Amino acid sequence: MAASVLKKVVIEKINEVAAVLMQKGTLIAPVKEEAGANFREIKDPKDIYLDYYNSILSPKMVFFPQMEDFVKYQLAKPKADAKIVEMNLKPAFLFGVRPCDVKSFEILDKHFYASGIIDTYWKARRDNTTIIGYAFDLDKPVDSADFYNTLGIGAADPEGSDIFIVKKDKELLLKGITKKGEALLGELSMLEKADAKDEKYFTDYVKKGKEKKTRFMKVDDKAVAKKYEDIFENNEYWTKMSDACLSCGVCTFVCPTCYCFDICDETIFGKGTRRRIWDACMFTDFTLETSGHNPRTKVSQRLRQKVCHKYSFSVRKYDVISCVGCGRCTRSCPVNIDIYSMVEEATKL
Amino acid sequence: MTNFKQIEENLKKEAKKLLEAGSVAVVLAYTKGADEKHPQPFAAKKADDVANIIFNEYCNHNLARYIVRYAPGTKIAVAVKAADSRAVVVLIQEEKIKRENLILLGIPVSGMKNQKTGEIIDEKTTGGLTNPVVYDVLLGEEIHTGKPVSPYTVLEQYEKMDKDARFAFWKAQFDKCIRCYACRKACPMCYCDPCFIDQTKPRWADKSPQSHGNLMYHLTRFQHLAGRCIDCGECTRACPVDIPLYLFHKKVAKDCEEMFKQAAGMKIEDKLVMVDFRVEDSDKILE
Ligand code: SF4
Ligand code: SF4
Ligand code: SF4
Ligand code: SF4
Repeated sequence: MAASVLKKVVIEKINEVAAVLMQKGTLIAPVKEEAGANFREIKDPKDIYLDYYNSILSPKMVFFPQMEDFVKYQLAKPKADAKIVEMNLKPAFLFGVRPCDVKSFEILDKHFYASGIIDTYWKARRDNTTIIGYAFDLDKPVDSADFYNTLGIGAADPEGSDIFIVKKDKELLLKGITKKGEALLGELSMLEKADAKDEKYFTDYVKKGKEKKTRFMKVDDKAVAKKYEDIFENNEYWTKMSDACLSCGVCTFVCPTCYCFDICDETIFGKGTRRRIWDACMFTDFTLETSGHNPRTKVSQRLRQKVCHKYSFSVRKYDVISCVGCGRCTRSCPVNIDIYSMVEEATKL
Repeated sequence: MTNFKQIEENLKKEAKKLLEAGSVAVVLAYTKGADEKHPQPFAAKKADDVANIIFNEYCNHNLARYIVRYAPGTKIAVAVKAADSRAVVVLIQEEKIKRENLILLGIPVSGMKNQKTGEIIDEKTTGGLTNPVVYDVLLGEEIHTGKPVSPYTVLEQYEKMDKDARFAFWKAQFDKCIRCYACRKACPMCYCDPCFIDQTKPRWADKSPQSHGNLMYHLTRFQHLAGRCIDCGECTRACPVDIPLYLFHKKVAKDCEEMFKQAAGMKIEDKLVMVDFRVEDSDKILE
């Protein structure tokens, strides 16, 4: 394989890069909001906020939006009049994704299409999007909630991105990782060619990113999956873990690997939409059956579902722990419940 | 300044005494989460658990929220700051719990901080109060220094806005809502099961996070909290997208107080303003 392309650009010129990407399609990048950064469609290149740590909501919302309309219909009209909502599929550029979140896309791919059952909405958006990953700033402290090192992810892992960016002083180094990424780099004429020093900087940065800086424990996928099977009925553990849990939806809504959704018909003044919206196993009515029976009435049962799904069921089904250690659930939990501590405590049992 | 370490020691001592004597089944207090700066509500059930109890300036969570989770009749000790104690009062008034089943470990405190920003949040979280309004044991000295602050001062700038500007402000805020329902789940007064927003027959509002449904959810919740919200600020603190819900709750509380001459959760003997009628009550609400 030919050595892949490395280009560079001074940070101020990122506006120019953005302008070109916006012409080619939709550009999605972190913007600063009241509570912190989030990935949003960029309308003005000045809104791009590169000095962020990580977003509050995970970038999964780009491929799996909280609300996805399927069909529009009208009450009392024939079924044939109902219209399928077309996806507005322009090429998309997802800019500035952290390595742990890039990894989450790969995990959700297993669920949304590699398993054989294809979610056309997820797949279409994935195929249409160029992922531009962005290494964590190795000179800045890591957030105390993060533990992506535990899941084998480095702070500057380029795998999974089409283009990967590393910051070097006042410049950004951009490397083409896939063919798609390289082709795009070639089309961005404002980029300069990087020299051998830059090449070395990039390689060293990726290597340095592998050093363990986040919280770390040794986790063996199979062993932890088995452990959770063994303690599935350990009520003492689950009660203790969930005594403080509010059973809200924050941890799952911010999580890059949670994918549960509900499909509902919402009608106003006779005009309706069949759509899917995010759902959460932590919600009281998540497992409520039509009969009125709810097999999970306790908070401990719901929290058990959440943790076991990620650390046990997913390993059994897809051969991967469906958690990337991004720390979002811990950071956003109103009562500071920490999944890392939960797993740590389980492994000691 | 509040001596947090002293309160922590006293809290541990009382909790130990109660659990060893078997006078309560559980002591609701705090423990550390990932670290001490990120504390977690904690249910101590054995004398051994007591060693894990902590109390510091980040222990904001309203512990009254957890009482209704235990079967009626369970003997429970609860660590109560001013706001927590007011929530307990409302729960007693609403007959969700009985006073005789509770042992209230009162915590007088000022200088509580927001875990994310480090900002002191007394006025936002305690309705301007520093001492619990009811307790059995006091874990520190009552605080009587400093000027009493009005919990409603923060409203001034919003009350000055005209109707359209105010609506635009709230619409923009509610448009941020992702309907995670952390606000209602963190609220000690939101114990309905099922909550109106989870009902399907009829469905009161769309579940999708759009303007109209968000507005319906929040306005209904604000109404349901009228005369009951004790201004602990937990809903706001729980919100992942920083919607300033406390402003709306405070406004409703202020109106209630002006109309019915009573703040929520101050005295067990009081009747809730929304279930009581007095001839001298204001009719402003009907205008
Ligand atoms: S773990 Fe935290 S964020 Fe998740 S449901 Fe429980 S209280 Fe909510
Ligand atoms: S479970 Fe928590 S740490 Fe793991 S991927 Fe989800 S939000 Fe990130
Ligand atoms: S509405 Fe908010 S401030 Fe009022 S009691 Fe509930 S959580 Fe506390
Ligand atoms: S906590 Fe915030 S985002 Fe969640 S439902 Fe309440 S207002 Fe909306």
